[in-house]
Parts: sequence; structure tokens; C-alpha cells
Amino acid sequence: MKPLVVDESLESETRDLLARRAARLREQGESTVEEAVHWIAEFPLGEERYALPLESLRAALPLRMVTPVPLSAPAVIGVLRFQGQVLSALSLASLLGGHGWRQDPAVLLVVDRGDGELCALDCEAIPRPTTLPLASVEAARARAEGPVVEVFTHDRQLIHLIDPKRLFGRSDVGARHAR
Amino acid sequence: MPVDPMLQPLVAGFAVEAQEVIQKVTMDLLELEREGLENDALAKIYTRLGRHLHTLKGSASSLGLQDLGDIAHKLEDALAPLKAHTQKMPRPVVDVLLHGLDLFMLRAQAHADGRGDDLPNPAAALSQLVAAAPPPEHAAVLPGGAFAQVPPAAQPAAVSAPPEMPAAPEPVGESADAGWRVSAAQVTSLMREVERLREVRLRVEERSRELERVSALLAKQGLLAETAEARTLLSGTGRSLRTDGEETSDVVDALEDGLKAITTRPTRTILDPLQRMVRDLSRQLGKEARLSVVGAEVSLDRRLLEKLQGALVHILRNAVDHGLEMPAEREKAGKHHEGALTLRVEQQGNLLYLEASDDGRGIDLSQVRKAAEKRGLITAEEAARLNDNQVRDLIFSEGFSTRSDVTDTSGRGVGLDAVRATVESLQGRIEVSSTRGQGTRFVLTLPVDLGSSPVLMVRALEQFVGLPMLAVESTQLARPDMLRVGKRRTHMEHQGQLLPVIDLGARLGLRASSPPTEGQPLLIVQSGGKRVALGVDAVVGDRDLVIRPLPSEVREVAAWQGAATLSRGELLLILRPDWVVSDTEKVTVSAVSRRALVVDDSLTARALHRAMLEAGGFQVHLAASGARALERLQADTYDVVICDLDMEEMDGIELIARLRENKDTRTLPVILVSAHDTQVARDRGLASGADGFLSKRECAAGRLLAEVLDVMSRRGSRE
Repeated sequence: MKPLVVDESLESETRDLLARRAARLREQGESTVEEAVHWIAEFPLGEERYALPLESLRAALPLRMVTPVPLSAPAVIGVLRFQGQVLSALSLASLLGGHGWRQDPAVLLVVDRGDGELCALDCEAIPRPTTLPLASVEAARARAEGPVVEVFTHDRQLIHLIDPKRLFGRSDVGARHAR
Repeated sequence: MPVDPMLQPLVAGFAVEAQEVIQKVTMDLLELEREGLENDALAKIYTRLGRHLHTLKGSASSLGLQDLGDIAHKLEDALAPLKAHTQKMPRPVVDVLLHGLDLFMLRAQAHADGRGDDLPNPAAALSQLVAAAPPPEHAAVLPGGAFAQVPPAAQPAAVSAPPEMPAAPEPVGESADAGWRVSAAQVTSLMREVERLREVRLRVEERSRELERVSALLAKQGLLAETAEARTLLSGTGRSLRTDGEETSDVVDALEDGLKAITTRPTRTILDPLQRMVRDLSRQLGKEARLSVVGAEVSLDRRLLEKLQGALVHILRNAVDHGLEMPAEREKAGKHHEGALTLRVEQQGNLLYLEASDDGRGIDLSQVRKAAEKRGLITAEEAARLNDNQVRDLIFSEGFSTRSDVTDTSGRGVGLDAVRATVESLQGRIEVSSTRGQGTRFVLTLPVDLGSSPVLMVRALEQFVGLPMLAVESTQLARPDMLRVGKRRTHMEHQGQLLPVIDLGARLGLRASSPPTEGQPLLIVQSGGKRVALGVDAVVGDRDLVIRPLPSEVREVAAWQGAATLSRGELLLILRPDWVVSDTEKVTVSAVSRRALVVDDSLTARALHRAMLEAGGFQVHLAASGARALERLQADTYDVVICDLDMEEMDGIELIARLRENKDTRTLPVILVSAHDTQVARDRGLASGADGFLSKRECAAGRLLAEVLDVMSRRGSRE
């Protein structure tokens, strides 16, 4: 096989290019390692992307065997059994103040409410685990007071990140009628 | 009188069995002593009593326990003349028989413990038994059974007076070496595993259904020959899965029953012996008293029952001793000469309510003040500052007693403080209320983790609910002649009373209220002295269920006390009887608001539409299918229908077609909603006669309501 002949000047140019590329990759690698991330479970709600902190997610179940609870708060779909406990199944769209949806939810996400209790939230699809830059999450949380904060992903996608503790800390989940 | 060593193990079992039989005999004797029993009822009890005594005699003799056989024989002799001429049993005879039973049990226990040799000759006791009635105070009640345990080498007849606060007993028939000691945490953990197993069983059932779907799909492909082998295999696997699922279900049920039996026992086991105690104590004090027990069938955690027994004994002794007046005094006050004591047990979710009441003289607050001062519990200044409730609470103070002398039953100042300590050690609370001259009521509220309650399962529309049996007096089928239908409310004539009729479906907000139809089941429900006739669509049957607390999001809903798991794993909500009988006037108020019917096969979609429409002031009823919607529309009238386009069986288009055929619903505004946000779906929906179309994506708060109002207004202007 004939050896590849490289022009001297070209060789030097190539070497520089490769060195620059290597430096850039090194920089990128270092910053990737150092950047802290926040793991989330991301899912669609209507036209938008929502997410829950991954650490609050306990299970994803098919939406069935839910017993409706007459006279309960509007957001309550019903109650179900999960590992020997009785949990509430709640409509996330309703908890968020009446949100449209693309397809009827078929999944229940069992989440830790932030106070040690579990509950189930309905969801249109099984969530996808992904990450958000932690700094962006913290900055967004510092700015917002509500249960949902808007955070951009690395590729500039808008995610509505739900804070379970804030969401369930509100007092509008309870009895529908005082009768 | 030595027992054959070969038979000794059988004697221990006999003692346990004898105790159960004697408890039944005791209850029968107390019943025979009552006034006003019909001859038929008396005859039945005499027959049963004779049979029980005969059983005792036969079992004792078969084990060579001749002394016990002789005692039982003497008891039969005492019963014989009364049995021949059926009549109320005279009190002295009841005394003799009860004393004889005491003797029997004390000796049986001594034989079981291997102390039969130390027992004195029974001849003296037997002659005493037939000669005269012994003083009733010799019969003592101890927790765990009706009879005192004989002390080693003690004379059976010399039973000591009952202690003021008896110690917790060994459970009946459970000697230390007869079983295992298991920690509560281990049992609780086992229960959780059983719950998980039930969920696994449900998943197996789901897998079986999935296999059936796959099999059906393959058949639809039309490749019958090519897929024949696969389909046969799948069908076989599906069948096996189904069988395995059913077997797992049986195993889960058996495990749950076993755990229930290990951890709980019926409250009756501690309440029944109290009947005898009340009877003997009132006799001893020259009083007359009758104890009624309500809710004895509720099963509770054994540990809780054992701790509570002493407290209940004390409360009842207190009621007889301090609360009830002498018969003459009662008659003078216009009361029945026999005092009424009531024990009521009720489990609501994870709370147990135990109520002990009497119709005696009530608590004399001035006497309580004076006694507390005299015993140095409070100063005169403090006494003057206390309100009535605080004074009443003094009876729970350590060292408190209104007695100036010490008697067998009271005066030592050890009593209700110990009761309160017991209740508080169980994380519970005790409250007392009293009306001078009318009686006193103690209410113990305790948390319970284990235990089951009898529940009547009923149905209103598609909703199954449970009602504690304790609150259900009877069930009847509605007949026009028993109903009084008014403009606002229907009443039912029941035992000379007019009871309001409540429709469970309407009370739960599932449909509009209407008078019961002929043949509809009506339950007579009582709670807190109120009674109503509750109309349901069907009575499914009774179940013994473990009621679990509801999660925090629904705990405040007044209608529900908890939820129980049914055998297939689904949850059954349990109603609060006090809510059922509470004022129902508010229900009629909602009848004036606008009504919407939401038809969707998605539970979440129904919930969302309901939330949005209720926020707009609508009264919303739900239907899970087109067929159900047609049923609802036949029974009720609505201002608007919100209907899913894509539903199985009958879709929105077909439902609209059916509505437009009917003159009553021809002009009813209908809005179609769909997850398919396409022009084709929209055109198809509107062409079918829908008044509006929304994609579910558009159903955000406000948008649905605006569409509904718009459609209603357009329909209104056209008519």
C-alpha cells in the first residue's frame, strides 16, 4: 500500500486545527462534568411539556381500579390502592387550574407530596427521565412563588417544572361541598 | 381425684371449651331472668340451656372428671322443674345456677392446670349448691372470662371480691407455651405483603386479559392457519393464568382471614362477661340493672381489647355503684325500677368510639367540688373558678372519690384516673357528659390499626358504597302505601313514625332527588338518635371488612369514614351514618341551579369537565357511556350535555342521533368533545347535530364554560 503523503504546510495547519478542536472538547468536557443537573420525569400535558423532580416519583401505573369519591374536591379523580395504602388519584390538569389535554390520561404517577405522604397524578403518557441545569432550576425557583416554574433545557425547550411540596401545600384539595 | 395422665392434654382443651359453653349458659340465664319474655322464647332458651348443661356433663364424664359431671348433673336437676313449666326464672335459682357454673369452671381450670388433686371433696359444695343461693358477691368477673381463676390449693367457694381495676388477663385458651410470640411490626409487615400479593393477583388477571386480546387480534388478521398454533398456545396460557389468578385470590383471602384471626377478636369476647358482672354487682348493692351492648360484633385488635377490658369493668362498676339509684328511688323519680346501662362500640375508619352510658342520677357537680377539696386535689379558690366541664373532669384525678367510706366496690380513690391512664396509653381520649337526674355518658375515642366491621354493601347508580351494619336497623322495599310524597320531601311511615326519605344517589350528588319507586330498597338508618329511610338502587349484601383511613385529600369529605378493600382488590367507600341522617335540606337548594350531564368513558375527562362546569355554577352529573347517559336523561332533565365523540359501544354521534329522535331531548344542547383535533372530526361532529365542538386541548378553564353558555344561549334564542 502506498503511504499517504501529507504536504508540510497542510500538516502544520491540520495539527493546529486538531489542537484547537481538542482544546474545545477539553473545555466542553470539563464544563459538562462540573455542571450540576436536576433529574426530572418529563411528560406532555396538552401542548406543553411538564415535569416532576425524579426523586419525588415512586411509580407509574396504568390508570385503572380508581374508585370515584362523590362530593370530593374537583381535582380528585378517586382513590386507589397502592402497596397496601389507599391513595388519592388527582387530576393534574385540574390542579393546575384547568388545563386542556391532547389525549385522555392513561397513566398515574405515584409521587411523594413532599410531606411523606403519597398521591397519584394523572398523566397522558409515561414520563421520560431527563435533566435540567440545576442552576436554571434554582434560579427559576427563586423567582417564582407558585407550584410551577418555567425552566429551559440545554436545547432551549421550555419545561414547566412542578414543585410537589408547593402544589400540595395549597389548601384547595379537600371536600367539594360542606354538606 | 387424679386425671389419667394420658387424658391431661385433653383436659386443658376441655377447660377452654367449657368456658365458652359456660359463657353461653350465663347469657341464657341472664335472659331467663328478664321480664316480659314470651313463652316460646322462654322455652327455646330452656331447651338450649339444658342442652349446654348436658354437653358439659357428658364432656366432663368422658374425661373421668366425675366431680364436674356431678355438678353439671345437679344443675340439670335444678333446671328440670322450671323447664317442665316454662316460666321466668326466679332470681334465687339464677343465683344457684350461676354459682354452680362458677364452681364448675374453677374446678375445671384446676384440673386443666394439674391441680385437681388439691381440690376439696365436692360433696360439701354440691350440698351447698342445692341448699341455698350463695351471696352474689361471691361470683366474680375477671377479664378474659366470666369467672375468677382458682388460686392454687384454694377452696373454690372462697372467691375473693373483685379488685377495683383488674389486671389484664391471659387470653382465653392461649397459655404461654401454646403458640408463638410475634411482634406487632412483623404482623403488620405480613399484612402489607398480603396486600401486595393481592395486587400481583390483579396484575395476573390483567395479563390474562392481554393474552385474550392478542389472541383476538391474531384471529382478526385472517391468517387463521398460520397462527393456529400460536393462538392455541396463547389460549392455553391464558386459561392457565386465569386458574393461577383464581388460586392466588383464594390464597390471599385465606391469608387475610388467618391474619385477621391472629390479630383480632370480636368485642363480644370482652363485653359478654360484663353482663354477669353488672347483674351480680347490682344484686350485691340491692339495685336492679340491665346492660345492653350494641356493636359487639365489631372485631378489634386483641391487644387493644385486653387493655380496654379493665377500663370498661371500672366504668360499669362505677355506673352501677354511683350512677344508678335504688329501685324505689328510681320509681319515685318516674324511671323504670331497672336501671339501663348501654355499651356502644363503633369503628369509624381508624377510630374506635366506645360509649358507656347510664340513666342514673348523673354527676352531682357540687359533690364533686366538695370531694375534690376535701381530698386536697384543689383549693376552695380553684374550685370556685372552675366551670362545669372542668369540675366534671375532676373525677379523672388521681385519688378522687366521692365516697367517704371504703367499700368492696369503691372509695379507695383508685378508679377513673386509672381508666384515663389506660385510654391515654393507647393514644386515646376519654370524655364525660352528664345531666343531673338523667344519667352519665363516657365516650372513649381510640385509634385502631387493625380490626374489621360488618358493613352492608349497597349501590346507587354505578357507585357501590358500604354502610356500617351498626347503623342499619332494617331493610324494606318501598310500597306506595307507606310513602307520603310532599312537594319538597318524601316521608315514610315506619313503626308509627314518619321518617324522611333520602335518595342516596341524590345525596351523593350523582342524580337529582326523586321519590322512591315501588320495590326500591329502603334502609332504615339511625345515628345519634336520628333515623331516616335511605333509598338505594340495590342491596348487594353484608361483608366483614377492614376499614382503612382515607388519604388526606379526601379525609375532610364529611360523607366518608374510610375505604375497605373488596376481594377483587377494588376499594369500597364507607359512609358515615351521622352524615347520612344529618340535615338534608341543602340538597334541595341545588335543584334550582343549571344542570349539565357529562358523558365520557374516561374517568379523568369526566372529573375535569365536572370541575370546570361546577366552577361555573352548574350542577353536574356524570355518565360513563352513551347507554348510561340515555338512562340518566330518562330520569332527569338537563340544560346541556357534554359528550365525548369517541366512546366504545355507543359513540357521541350515535348518542346525538338517539337524542334527536326523542321529542323530550330533540332540542337539548349537546357539545361534542374529542381528543382528535382535526377538521374531519369537527365537521363530522357538527354534521351529526351537535351544537358545538371542542377538542380536549381547547377544554382549558373558561373555554368549555364559554362554549356551554354560548350553545345554551343559541338554543334558547332559536326556541
